[in-house]
Amino acid sequence: MPHHSKVSVEDLLRLKRAERPGPEFWTNFEGELRQRQLTALVQKRRWWHELSTLMQRRIYLPAGAAAILAFTLVAVRYSVPNRIAQDSIPAAVTARVDSAVEELAPTEIPVSIAAQVLGSSEATGVAPHATHVTPAASDSFADAAITATIPADVSPSQRSMNTSLTRLSQSEPAFLEPLLDERLNAPVRAQPASIAQAEVASMTASTSSKYRLIARYVDRSLSPAPTPPAVVRERLARRLGDDINDDISRIGVVGSRVSLKF
Amino acid sequence: MNLSKVFTQTAITTPERKQEADADFAVVKQVQAGDVAAFDKLIVKYRERVFGVIYNLSANREDASDLSQETFIKAFQAINRFQGNCSFFTWLYKIAINTTLSHLRKNRMRSFFSLEKLNDEGGNAQVIDQLTDKRGADRDAYLRELQEKLNEALQKLSIPHRTVITLFEIDGLSHAEIAEVMDCSEGTVRSRLHYAKQFLQGELGKYLRS
Repeated sequence: MPHHSKVSVEDLLRLKRAERPGPEFWTNFEGELRQRQLTALVQKRRWWHELSTLMQRRIYLPAGAAAILAFTLVAVRYSVPNRIAQDSIPAAVTARVDSAVEELAPTEIPVSIAAQVLGSSEATGVAPHATHVTPAASDSFADAAITATIPADVSPSQRSMNTSLTRLSQSEPAFLEPLLDERLNAPVRAQPASIAQAEVASMTASTSSKYRLIARYVDRSLSPAPTPPAVVRERLARRLGDDINDDISRIGVVGSRVSLKF
Repeated sequence: MNLSKVFTQTAITTPERKQEADADFAVVKQVQAGDVAAFDKLIVKYRERVFGVIYNLSANREDASDLSQETFIKAFQAINRFQGNCSFFTWLYKIAINTTLSHLRKNRMRSFFSLEKLNDEGGNAQVIDQLTDKRGADRDAYLRELQEKLNEALQKLSIPHRTVITLFEIDGLSHAEIAEVMDCSEGTVRSRLHYAKQFLQGELGKYLRS
C-alpha cells in the first residue's frame, strides 16, 4: 500500500540522481580517457581549430577588417594588370600586324610600297637601279645604304619592305617596273585611306578595341588593297581580329613583368 | 594572481564553493606549469558530475561516456587559456554543456534511451515507497516504467529548458551558477525553470501525489 504523502516533480527528478554507473564503468572510462588524452597530446592541432579559438576570443572586428583589406588588395591586384594588359595590346598587336604585313607583302601591298619606294628614292636622289651591286658580296652594305635613305619615322616592318623592294628594283628592273607601272596606273583599284578610315569608324562600339587596332593598321597606309577592297578588308579584319584575340590571351602580366606564351 | 579577488566577480555563492574553486585553481596552475598528471585529480573529482549532467541531457549512457571524455580532452587542451575568471567547475560545466548541445543538435533526429539502472536505495527508497507498495519484480518494473516516463518527459523539453532543470534539480547548481554556465541572466534561468516544472507536472501527473 503506497504512503499517500506528497510527491512533487522535484522528488521525481531527484530520483534521477540515483541513475549512476557502477565502479567498473569508471575503470573503462579512465582507460579510454587516458588513451584519448595521449592521442590529443600527440596529435597536432589543425589550423582551423586555431581559427575557431581565435573566433572564440572575439576577434570578429579585426578579422573582418583584415578580410576587407585582403579583398581590396586582391581586387586592386586583378584590376591593375587588366588595365596594363589593355594598354599593352596596341604594341603587341602592332608587332603582329607587322608580321602579317610582311607575309602579305608580295601579293597585296606592292602598290603603296612601290609608290613610297619611288617617292623616297626620288626624294633622296637615289635612282632605283643606278648602281649594280653584287648581292653575295655586299648585301648587308647595300641594305644599310638603302635603309639610310628611308626616313627615320618609318616603322621597322615598312623599312624592311622598302629595303626589299628597293633591292628588287635594283636587281630586277625589267620585272618590277612594268608591274609597278601597271599598278600605279590603276587608280580605280586603290581605295583612298579616308574611305578606309570611314569604314573603320562606322564599326560598332562593342568591338571598338579590336577594330581600333585594325584602324591603326589601316592608318599605316598599307592600303590600297586589291579588288574588291571592301571584301578583302573585311576578311583581313576578321582574321586579324581572331589573331588579336588569340594574341591577347597569350599575354600575361604578373606584377611589373609581361610574359608572352608561344 | 589574487584568487579571492578573481572569484568575487563570479557566481560562487557559498564559502565551500569558494574554497573548492581556490583548490581547483591551484591544481590548474600546476597543470599550466607542465604537471600534466595533476589534471587527473580534476578528472577524478569531476567525472561523475560531468557524466551526470551529460547523461541527464542526452538520456544515453554511451553518448554520455563519449561526451564526458571529450569534455575532459577539450578542457585539457584549453587549460592554458583558463585565466581563473570563473571557477574551474563552472568552466568545465560550460564545456560539457556546449559539447552536449552541439552533439544533440547534430543528432536531433537520432535519439534513443540507454539508461542506467535506477538505484532504489537511501533517500530514493522513501520516494519510491510513497509512489508504490509493490515489491520484488513488480517494483522493478514499476521503477523502470517511471524512469522511462521521466526521461521521455525531459526529452520533450527544449534543450535550454532541459539544461536548466537538470542543472538546478539534479545537479544542485544555484540560479547564478546556471546563469553563468548558460551565458544568460538569472531571470531567464528562473523563467525557464518555472516553465519546465509546469510542463513536467503536466506530463507526469499520473505519478504525482498532492
